[in-house]
Amino acid sequence: MSKLYSVAALFKTPDDIMHAASKVADAGYEKYDVNTPYPIHGMDGAMKLKSSKMGYYTITIGLTCMSLMLFFMYWVYNIDYPQVIGGKPLFPLPAFVPIMFEITILTGAVLTVAVMLIFYFKFPNNAHPLHDSSYMKAVSSDKFGVNIEAVDPKFDLDKVKAFLASIGAYQIDEIYFDEEEVNTKHKILDSKFVIGMFLIAGFTSISVYLHMNKALYLPPFDWMLLQHKVTAQDHSDFFKNGISSREPVEGTVARGFMPYLYSEDPDGASDNLVNPFVADEENIALGKKKYLTYCSPCHGDLAKGDSRLNGQFPNGPTLHSDKLLSWTDGRIYHVITEGQNVMPGYKKTVTRKERWAIVNYVRKLQRALDAKEEDMQ
Amino acid sequence: MSNHETKINYIKKDLPKGFLKFGLPLLIIGIVSAFIAYQVDPMRASFNNIISLLLIVSVGLGAIFLVALEHIAGAVWSVPFRRIAEHQGFIFLATPLLALPILFNMHDIYEWTHLNVVVNDPILYQKSPYLNTEFFYARSIGIFVVMSIFLFTYLRNSTRQDTTQSQKTTKINALISAVFMPLFAISITMVAIDYAMSLEPHWFSTIFGVYYFAGTFATAMAVLTLLTLKLKSNGNLLKEINGNHYYSMGGLMFAFTAFWMYMAFSQYMLIWYANIPEETFWFLPRMENGWEYLSIGLIFIKFIIPFGLLLNRNSKMNPSRLKLAAFWIIGAHIYDMYWLVMPTYNRMSGTEGPVFGWIELGFISLSAGIILVFYYLAANKKNHIPIGDPKLNRALDFRI
Amino acid sequence: MSTIDYTKNEVNVKGTRSLKEIDDLIVAPLDRIPNKKFFIAIGFTSTLLLIGTIGIALSFYYGTGLWGNNNPVGWAFPIVNFVFWVGIGHAGTLISAILFLLRQRWRNGIARFAEAMTIFAVITALIFPIIHTGRPWVAAVYLLPYPNQHAVWVNFNSPLLWDVFAVSTYFTVSLVFWYVGLIPDFALLRDRATGKIKKVIYSIFSLGWRFSNRHWQHYEMTYLILAGLATPLVLSVHTIVSFDFAVSILPGWHTTIFPPYFVAGAIFSGFAMVQNSLIVIRKVFDMDDLIPLKTLETMNKIILLTGTMVGYAYSMEFFIAWYSGSQPEYFTFVNRAFGPYAWAYWTMFSCNVFIPQLFWIKKIRTSIVPMFIIAIFVNVGMWFERFVIVVTSLSRDFLPSSWAYYRPTITDFAILLGSFGLFFTLTLLFTRFLPSIAIAEIKAVSEGAQPSHHGGEDHE
Repeated sequence: MSKLYSVAALFKTPDDIMHAASKVADAGYEKYDVNTPYPIHGMDGAMKLKSSKMGYYTITIGLTCMSLMLFFMYWVYNIDYPQVIGGKPLFPLPAFVPIMFEITILTGAVLTVAVMLIFYFKFPNNAHPLHDSSYMKAVSSDKFGVNIEAVDPKFDLDKVKAFLASIGAYQIDEIYFDEEEVNTKHKILDSKFVIGMFLIAGFTSISVYLHMNKALYLPPFDWMLLQHKVTAQDHSDFFKNGISSREPVEGTVARGFMPYLYSEDPDGASDNLVNPFVADEENIALGKKKYLTYCSPCHGDLAKGDSRLNGQFPNGPTLHSDKLLSWTDGRIYHVITEGQNVMPGYKKTVTRKERWAIVNYVRKLQRALDAKEEDMQ
Repeated sequence: MSNHETKINYIKKDLPKGFLKFGLPLLIIGIVSAFIAYQVDPMRASFNNIISLLLIVSVGLGAIFLVALEHIAGAVWSVPFRRIAEHQGFIFLATPLLALPILFNMHDIYEWTHLNVVVNDPILYQKSPYLNTEFFYARSIGIFVVMSIFLFTYLRNSTRQDTTQSQKTTKINALISAVFMPLFAISITMVAIDYAMSLEPHWFSTIFGVYYFAGTFATAMAVLTLLTLKLKSNGNLLKEINGNHYYSMGGLMFAFTAFWMYMAFSQYMLIWYANIPEETFWFLPRMENGWEYLSIGLIFIKFIIPFGLLLNRNSKMNPSRLKLAAFWIIGAHIYDMYWLVMPTYNRMSGTEGPVFGWIELGFISLSAGIILVFYYLAANKKNHIPIGDPKLNRALDFRI
Repeated sequence: MSTIDYTKNEVNVKGTRSLKEIDDLIVAPLDRIPNKKFFIAIGFTSTLLLIGTIGIALSFYYGTGLWGNNNPVGWAFPIVNFVFWVGIGHAGTLISAILFLLRQRWRNGIARFAEAMTIFAVITALIFPIIHTGRPWVAAVYLLPYPNQHAVWVNFNSPLLWDVFAVSTYFTVSLVFWYVGLIPDFALLRDRATGKIKKVIYSIFSLGWRFSNRHWQHYEMTYLILAGLATPLVLSVHTIVSFDFAVSILPGWHTTIFPPYFVAGAIFSGFAMVQNSLIVIRKVFDMDDLIPLKTLETMNKIILLTGTMVGYAYSMEFFIAWYSGSQPEYFTFVNRAFGPYAWAYWTMFSCNVFIPQLFWIKKIRTSIVPMFIIAIFVNVGMWFERFVIVVTSLSRDFLPSSWAYYRPTITDFAILLGSFGLFFTLTLLFTRFLPSIAIAEIKAVSEGAQPSHHGGEDHE
């Protein structure tokens, strides 16, 4: 069904249209518009339009987004993943300035245009009644036009036509439109719309999934492991015995390992070994700790041979016997290392330093029960 | 835009009385206090003297540059103000008054004049072919002479055109300006390097000349704006001069305020980021002993506030707001020069932190006095509009 | 043309045309089948493009070992080309935004074209850092700060990341600016179109523009804002590109004048490129009167000006290198001028500083062939400037034992040629398919298009 949209009048020169626009504005019409192929200087004055406020959007949007970006960078560097890069502080403001600046410009420009097109102009809108009219074709090229809409409260077809003719229009058209065609009010539950939204949602989810998990998936960085070389304990056909690693040369000693030369030779140990550690406080403390752990169950806390095991196990002898008192440090060390009678060797469980520390501690215990004259001083 | 042959209706009027009424007392106060200051504390006085000199060079040499810029760019809108700029350029002739005390006091100011230091310092020794007193004098005199020749040429051509109305003069001026531009670039760079950068003779920054130029342009424009507004309100100018012209002036001040920040940020950021001790030591004294507040203040005073003042379209067209912005920019330039110069005073005199007292005020008063009195000397009884300029009609017709 | 009448405004479009004639003239290349010259031109440029594509394809297949980049010179041709092309883009924004703010009317005829060149130059430039990463399919995405499986973020401290932000912002804003300018022209094309398909396409792009003055008002304001934003943006982009070099501590790179010096150089080379392309387009599409000699002359003046500014920066750098008293700094500059790359340095210096001085002569400034040749020299010189900066500083760095001479390979040259091919192909296609002159804008400044303001509404 056709309905009247507006009465449109065409003018030939910019001076005419300026004159016409101010007349229309003076006559009190509100729903009217001036269409010209290019912006005419001073037209907003003639049409009595308020000056454009687009600048405020730009400033607001730009500064807001800039602050958000600054906060984001702060969050990344100080909260989410604090990391010192290039010796710069965690909040390197000068280094943030370029990005803040770019974000201000980017958002300010793009969103201002978006605000203008979407909220001010209600674009895209290719279904406006004016489209495809001969009026539109004229004003897009070289004519200047005024159109007064039928919804204007003062609208009266004949009066408007007469008025437009009186201000110098050379051609006056009535513009009709089909209500169905230009109806831009869409129902939100329209089936096509709903299906469309579902399709978009599905497409977005699937593509995001594929993108993040397939296209962008990178295996963890493990290329150092995948080298063309033979690793230790591996199989190798190169050597006769099929083992990748070779046996060391006779007499090779592992680093940090000191071989014990007197395993079958207590006398040698007694004669040749000298306690390399001084019985200072630290050493005694270590010896005490180790003695209480490994020796005291059999030999007793004070080495008197009073085992806590109460005969469930062969009691260790006292360490205060004359025999023990006459032994050298090396001899005691030998027993701890290799064991004696039922006593097992402790070389696997107690380190060399600890064994010598135990020797020192035992000496201290012996001295405690068998004090000498000079200890009194 | 169509042309309308409007008859230029220019009535010659005397300058407003304010120029002498305020200018002379300020000048006298300035001279007296400068004189006393040199007796009491010659070192501090010399440093203040440098600040004044840099300001006056900005105002005067900057104005000559504005004139040349108009000629070379063939700008139209600025034609009605060219004579004011030419008279403002006359202020450049005051620089010897300010430079002489510095030249006599160089030992107090410039470390590179201390022979024993230079001989024992390989870097200063290496620079001595450039940084030595004789060459320094020669450069200063050379810049003054060359730039003054251009100033007088422009003034003479312009005044003659008032009667001859010759189009040829406009063309010749454009050619002269083409020669002027590279010489100006060298001159202003040398002024910046000699008088400001060599205060810290070990320091170097390639951008320093441009940094000083950015402030110079904004300041020269601000002084020009103030003079224009004053003369306009006094009726010395034509009635056709309106918001459209002011808008352009405001726009240029705005642009160069931003340009200054661009230069300052580039210089600071690059030095901060690279973090090389040869360069950072210049910024370090400006970040301690109270200078840190002044450094942060500089960003606000020289950039953020004038930027905000001039951002809005209306504020560029409204004379009273423009006046505020122009005053602010001149003040900010003094502040900037203070920030450039005075940390070296701390180092040379062994004081700590920024100092401010009657000596500083005295020299500011001296600068203001020089600007007002020299402008009066240049412009009194003269035309304030280049009435013979062929572009004048178009300029008055100017719309943004 | 020997004497200028200073009392009159210069007329930019020769003769008085009616608005209708302006439409017809500008839209003409879109409606008719292009002539032989067009096909020869596009055949040539697409051949170059093909060569470049082969170069890139080979690089992807065999790896970047095909390039000449060696150990100290890790940033060679790709970075040189990137900086060169980004620089080319700057002239476009300068013409469309800065000269718009300065109300230089001669710009209107070439603004649209220059903006298009900006966009194409940035597209061309973007290829280089991306291929330079070696694995572009990964790099393109890992340059953006998005939450990822590794839980790491991009390095906001790095000038290379600033570049990502700057160049992508520059591209987006230029595109938006360009498109906003195109909307009214699309609407005009829509109303002129006779074919159904054309009409639908133009309608979609015109968004339903109605030439309403209620819209023009906001439109003009937004255009002004975009110009105001594009102006600092264009400065910032090459500034940030210069930061790539200047924040380092490499002598010859770390100098505080780099930001303005790069910007001046960018505008310099960009104007030379715009001038070259305009002369070609003028020839190919017979647009002699839409792009008048006067415009080209003004551009030559700007080339002269920026060339001199670049010369100032060269001298300043050299002077401060000596003045600084820092030995590596001084060595670098002496090495540039007299070392193994002296040929590149003097090519740069003569092409950029000496040859443009010929533009002082009016005869040369206003004749097509000499100015075309000079602008080519400027482009060569500016390309060499980037080459000198990138390669000489790297090839002789702190450790003399690691010094090495850089030699580009044939693949490097193929990709460089390809970049020219891409740029000019896009430019030619643009001129064929879109109005290369902003119709609404040129109408607004044509003779008698604005109401005479005396007696009319005076807005102050």
